[in-house]
Amino acid sequence: MIAWNILSDALFAALAGIGFGAISDPPMRAFRFIAILAAAGHSFRYILMTFAGVEISLGSLAGALLIGFGGLWLGKIARTPMTVLCIPALLPMIPGKFAYNMVFSLIMFLQNMESSSQRALYMDMFFSNMVITGSVVFVLAAGVTVPMLIFPKRAFSLTRKKR
Amino acid sequence: MANKFLSDLLRQKQMDSPKEILSEVGDFISEYSSHLMGCGVHTSRVIRNAKRIGNSFGYAVTLSVFQKNIILTVADLEKHEHYNKVIDIPELPISFEHNSELSTLSWETYDRHLSLSALRRKYLRILRRPAIHPFFVLIMTGLANASFCRLFGGDWLSMGIVLTSTITGMFLKQQMSKEGINPYLVFIVSAFVASLCSSSSLIFDTTSEIALATSVLYLVPGVPLINGVIDIVEGYILTGCARLIHALLLILCIATGLSFTLLLVKDNLL
Repeated sequence: MIAWNILSDALFAALAGIGFGAISDPPMRAFRFIAILAAAGHSFRYILMTFAGVEISLGSLAGALLIGFGGLWLGKIARTPMTVLCIPALLPMIPGKFAYNMVFSLIMFLQNMESSSQRALYMDMFFSNMVITGSVVFVLAAGVTVPMLIFPKRAFSLTRKKR
Repeated sequence: MANKFLSDLLRQKQMDSPKEILSEVGDFISEYSSHLMGCGVHTSRVIRNAKRIGNSFGYAVTLSVFQKNIILTVADLEKHEHYNKVIDIPELPISFEHNSELSTLSWETYDRHLSLSALRRKYLRILRRPAIHPFFVLIMTGLANASFCRLFGGDWLSMGIVLTSTITGMFLKQQMSKEGINPYLVFIVSAFVASLCSSSSLIFDTTSEIALATSVLYLVPGVPLINGVIDIVEGYILTGCARLIHALLLILCIATGLSFTLLLVKDNLL
């Protein structure tokens, strides 16, 4: 059952990565690498969060680092820049539910201005969701750039053909 | 007499030719770099690629990149000749294919010392390649958002609803972008329509909140967001901030579109 959960998580993350990649018109050969990276990153976060009790921002950082290093490694094989593989692979990790709750609580806050208990409740909900969304998006973007900063030479010559 | 005229002409020609080549290479680099910036490549890559191409012709290239324009100088250091240009960056759809193929082209030029005409031919061939068919993109986006819904814990019915509402919203986005409507308006309207379609899940006994939350996520501007962060950490803070602000505005537009739907259906959600 556990293995099935992890596998289905990886499968749907891969599908999501491919789909979000298709919007940005990648070269055909990049699709399978995007799928691999998206599956690896998201299922890694899933494993950390479900079995190791890691919270979402730290888990996302780990996932983003994995995708970053993986992109650096696979980019040479696919002969594409890192961003082409990493950006679509990261998108399935966007904390959509928290972002939705943020918008929802903001609207409920504005609609319930008269009652002070409701107001406090929705403001609290708005801020905690905003902090989670903001920090997860930040660590996703930061985590994927770290490998580029550690290995600039390799990151800048991924598209060079072997002579 | 005729001989002198000929030799004069020849001297003139010899003096002219390097200048001509410099300006031709400069024209190409200006076109190339503005195209890269337009189709969503991060700043340091644009600059490196342009310098690499200039290098292979023996010229030093200096660029200063802004969000809407590029100021370019191509210098022939031996002859002390300069080519200057300010270029507008065109607004192109994001294309990872152009990103990777044009980067490969810059390395090829550098490694094999391609002539300018060969370079230009290959450049045009890359630009003429057809993009992925919009219909395929439409289906893939729908599937992606449906599997996204699954990742958040939605059930099969929610996934189906998200699939159809995403396809509706994405179709609208494609058509409106084709008409050249303001991108912010496009984002607000397509977020509104997609979330409104997915609010039909409130009728059924399903994970309707998750369906509503995921229905707008296909619009998330991942490319400017991550390019912005990459630009900032690599020292191009100006363009990085411009990209981040652009991404933030688009996210606000998504939130606005979603808010309209939530205002309509909020009583059913509580």
